[in-house]
Amino acid sequence: MEERVLSMICVSCPVGCDLRVRVQGKKVLDVEGHSCPRGIDFAEAEVANPTRVFATTVRVSGGKLPVCPVRSRQAVPKERLFDISKEVARLVVPAPVDIGQVILPDVCGTGVDIVATRDLKAKEESA
Amino acid sequence: MTDKTFDIVIVGAGIVGATLARELSAYSLRVAVIDKASDIPSGASRANSAMIHAGYDDQPGTIKADFCPIGNRLYHELAAPLDFTLKECGSYVCGFDDDDRIHLEKLLEQGRANRVPGLEIISGETLRRREPYASGDITHALRAPTGAVINNFEAVLAFIDNAQQNGVELFLETELKDLLLSADGAEVVGVATNRGRLFAPVVVNAAGVYSDLVARMAGDDSFFIRPTRGEYYIMDKRIGSLVNSFFFACPTPKGKGITVAPTAENNLLIGPTSIVQPGRDDTSTTADGLAEVIDGARRLIPSIPLNMAITAFSGLRANPDTKDFIVNVLERPLGFVNAAGIKSPGFTSAPAIACHLVELMKDRLAKRISFIPDPTFIPERKHTPRFEMLSLEEKRRLAEADPRYAQIVCRCEMVTEGQIVEAITRGARTVAAVKIWTRAGAGRCQGGFCGPRVVDILARELGVSCEEITRHGGHSRYLVGKTKDYWFRGEN
Amino acid sequence: MADMQVDVAIIGAGPAGVAAGIGAREAGAEDVLVLERDWDLGGILQQCIHPGFGLHAFKEELTGPEYMHRWIERAHKAGVAFLTNSMVFKMESDGSLWVMNPEKGVFHVTAKATVLAMGCRERPLGAINVPGSRPSGIFTAGTAQRFVNMEGYMPGHRTVILGSGDIGLIMARRLVWEGARVEGVFELMPWAGGLRRNIAQCLNDYGIPFYLSQTVIQVHGRDRLEGVTVAGVDEKRRPVAGTERYIACDCLLLAVGLIPENELSRMAGVDIHAATGGPVLNEFYQTSRPSIFAAGNVVIVYDLADWVSQEGVAAGRNAALYAAGILEKPVRRIEVRGGRNVRLFSPQNIVGSGDVTVYFRVLRPIEKRCRIFAEPGLFERRQRYVRPGEMNEIHLKGAALQALPETVTTITLDAEEV
Ligand SMILES: Cc1cc2nc3c(=O)[nH]c(=O)nc-3n(C[C@H](O)[C@H](O)[C@H](O)COP(=O)(O)OP(=O)(O)OC[C@H]3O[C@@H](n4cnc5c(N)ncnc54)[C@H](O)[C@@H]3O)c2cc1C
Ligand SMILES: Cc1cc2nc3c(=O)[nH]c(=O)nc-3n(C[C@H](O)[C@H](O)[C@H](O)COP(=O)(O)OP(=O)(O)OC[C@H]3O[C@@H](n4cnc5c(N)ncnc54)[C@H](O)[C@@H]3O)c2cc1C
Ligand code: SF4
Repeated sequence: MEERVLSMICVSCPVGCDLRVRVQGKKVLDVEGHSCPRGIDFAEAEVANPTRVFATTVRVSGGKLPVCPVRSRQAVPKERLFDISKEVARLVVPAPVDIGQVILPDVCGTGVDIVATRDLKAKEESA
Repeated sequence: MTDKTFDIVIVGAGIVGATLARELSAYSLRVAVIDKASDIPSGASRANSAMIHAGYDDQPGTIKADFCPIGNRLYHELAAPLDFTLKECGSYVCGFDDDDRIHLEKLLEQGRANRVPGLEIISGETLRRREPYASGDITHALRAPTGAVINNFEAVLAFIDNAQQNGVELFLETELKDLLLSADGAEVVGVATNRGRLFAPVVVNAAGVYSDLVARMAGDDSFFIRPTRGEYYIMDKRIGSLVNSFFFACPTPKGKGITVAPTAENNLLIGPTSIVQPGRDDTSTTADGLAEVIDGARRLIPSIPLNMAITAFSGLRANPDTKDFIVNVLERPLGFVNAAGIKSPGFTSAPAIACHLVELMKDRLAKRISFIPDPTFIPERKHTPRFEMLSLEEKRRLAEADPRYAQIVCRCEMVTEGQIVEAITRGARTVAAVKIWTRAGAGRCQGGFCGPRVVDILARELGVSCEEITRHGGHSRYLVGKTKDYWFRGEN
Repeated sequence: MADMQVDVAIIGAGPAGVAAGIGAREAGAEDVLVLERDWDLGGILQQCIHPGFGLHAFKEELTGPEYMHRWIERAHKAGVAFLTNSMVFKMESDGSLWVMNPEKGVFHVTAKATVLAMGCRERPLGAINVPGSRPSGIFTAGTAQRFVNMEGYMPGHRTVILGSGDIGLIMARRLVWEGARVEGVFELMPWAGGLRRNIAQCLNDYGIPFYLSQTVIQVHGRDRLEGVTVAGVDEKRRPVAGTERYIACDCLLLAVGLIPENELSRMAGVDIHAATGGPVLNEFYQTSRPSIFAAGNVVIVYDLADWVSQEGVAAGRNAALYAAGILEKPVRRIEVRGGRNVRLFSPQNIVGSGDVTVYFRVLRPIEKRCRIFAEPGLFERRQRYVRPGEMNEIHLKGAALQALPETVTTITLDAEEV
């Protein structure tokens, strides 16, 4: 299979190293430009199966805010991001919500849970 | 709106319509004011220099020269009972050479003829002793102590609000489409609007930059309006103290009339340009215009920093080709009254124009309407509290009486939820109207912080969803929908 | 409500204020009170729901609310008191505060030491002089972020983003994730304002065009925004004739910079630095008013919340020591200066005998091996790059500073190619 050199920016930390990644098909032969080993992991994942942590909100009923922030506990396949976003958009979660609470287990069959990232109290009864 | 009957319909709720409505509300008359805008003031009365001119500027013998000093006096008298902010700051017209000196002498003479009090010409050195940031190039200045600045938003609201208290009806988002005339065309019988008809034997044209088109509906083509744009910068309060007074320059061939002024709220206002344009609604700003503003302002006050601008805006002058105000009662169709082409100093002159119009109508339209003083007329009103201006003790008391006055919504202008709720109760329906009433969003962050909160309060008080709230009426919806629903907006 | 007396009062419960509370308690202050105008704690990080926080502080990548949750728990454990819905609206020159709260009314708080932690605000459209009309649909990126992430509303269908600050980049991805379109990001400068990772993961991932040396020169639309005219700019950042093009959009987000929020500081007579827009500080985070301290974005705009927390702890600690009368007394005064490629730095003065970290940002990026250093001969470090969007740290040893001859009263920081 033909060898190619991909250039990408490592997003594993705020440094944002410029990586030059020599690949053959989905196999990484060599990485240049990284400042730490996580750069290599990133390049390999990016070539084989790029993943991202997904963060959005979910509708809440009876909460102090109408939406609560949530995230995927681990990174999910990049190509599934929009399916996941739509799936989460269908939900309504009753308040109160606790940080870490599982909002949607195994989202879109990825094996990854969607969890709340803040505590959200119920709306106080208006006096 | 179903058809309604009034004695007088005023078209336009700018300062001219507002002062007239209030003047008429002292009589037992059924008065309607219509305006096509969703919040007032919206025309020239919204975007201008807010100077209450002393009155030296106009040639003796013009209507303007008569009205301006009287208007000035009336604002001073009415500021307390109608509760609008007027700041007595005086003004200077600055000269840079001998030619200017001659011009200043002429203004001095003109002012004296117009009976303007307290005018004097001072030297550049004297000026700089009082105004340390004034340009070293200024050689002389004409001082006019009675010049003042006004909060023009508050003033229009004050007159309309007081008129409404006294029974005047205000119809917003109501556009005059046509004049209703008797079959023979000799008399006015009312107006047709986008929201139905209003019948009345007297219709007043106070439509500002549209006033020539309205006059045309009555067959009056004696004048036309040249909309003339004036662009401004508003600068941060932090540099508001660069000047204590209103600064004009003598006109030059290159440019005329860029001024530097304190505002009633201690911001700094610089502008306006003067550019004739075809459009009657286009109040955008231009790169060239704003560059001219800066150059002109720095000629007077060289140290004005550009990075202190908080926003730019422009207003359209309703300059008539006849060069003077058009204030008259037509013979035919009888019942049609012009308060048209009210160019600068129209804001200053408006209360005087209103008094004059009432006299004119009493005289000429007695057969159509009768002016019986209303014994229940209340000559005063209160604005919503200005929290920022209150003393600590007053703040404390207000906050204890109503916790909504302890909830800051706009941090730049220190506007509380209490003020916003009251403005909504008194008619504010849009984000812009809340700003006009309370100054929420008028500060240095321009609504960045309070925008979401104001939208929230409007929606709550009006019992609608946030998406229905507009910035300034019409199609100016603030938000376009809810997240989450957004994914499914195409469906069902 | 009765007036209050505390040892250390802190204004703002963002990362800086919460951390300052912890620092103050840990250094022994008895009564530590944090005043926050919002109904909840966390500051701007409440709305930063994306991951990107905590790599330094917790060695894992958290979202803003998760990051703050940990700090707030720590603060509660440390015995920090919080009052929410409490806006400080006036500060006296002795550092005492006037506060209002819907339940408690208006009250006065006196403190032996006060910490400013009010954060920053965003630069609005007016401040950058874009001509045109003023329709609805123009928001600062942070305002839009609050609408989307906390209130659940969409600001527009088709968005143009002006400025490449991180908040704008994050919002580009956020809007795409909610199903809306982003037409492009336009940056006036020839380099990006935000982090490179955000260009990669917020724009490149979704094919959002990114234009350097281009800006919005006109806004169109009377009621709702209808479009913007963009144009290329020359080296002096003036629009180049002939490069104009119209882009239809109903939303314009501005990510054109943050300004420290210092109205209260000015009221109290605290000296404000012209370049940072924040208080002039010494290495104890002490302002020109000795009982008033400051930390976080109110001082200088940071790119990483982790650093803000770290600074907050230190500022709180020093405030507590001052309150107890045991903060080190000044031994001499050395002024810090920025060299040719330095835009902002803090602190500006060094007065004590200990080690000092100075933070600074560069004016222009250097995308090759370079060194950051402090003259005369106090510090040097090689780096692979310096970028305007990222803060640099310079570490000065107390002993080295003490060893400087009396005649040396200034030190200079800079970054240059090697
Ligand atoms: C740049 C500038 C600077 C100025 N500076 C000063 C100054 O410093 N001092 C001073 O004294 N004067 C100043 N002026 C002049 C002053 O602002 C005007 O003279 C005054 O505001 C005119 O008031 P008005 O009520 O006639 O018009 P407007 O305020 O324009 O009101 C007219 C109203 O009519 C409504 N309308 C129009 N057509 C229709 C329709 N068909 N149906 C329903 N409603 C309609 C409009 O919506 C508008 O609200 C300035 C003007 C400008 C533009
Ligand atoms: C929109 C945005 C996105 C960001 N994204 C990232 C990111 O992805 N990763 C990262 O590491 N960093 C990010 N940052 C930077 C980081 O969040 C900030 O550096 C950090 O939040 C600053 O903390 P702070 O405590 O100084 O200010 P803030 O978090 O702004 O907190 C200030 C607090 O003070 C309160 N306050 C202000 N005035 C008063 C008053 N008068 N009375 C009472 N309370 C008051 C405010 O309500 C607020 O809660 C972002 C910053 C912003 C603005
Ligand atoms: S390679 Fe290492 S240092 Fe560079 S961006 Fe990736 S994680 Fe950060």
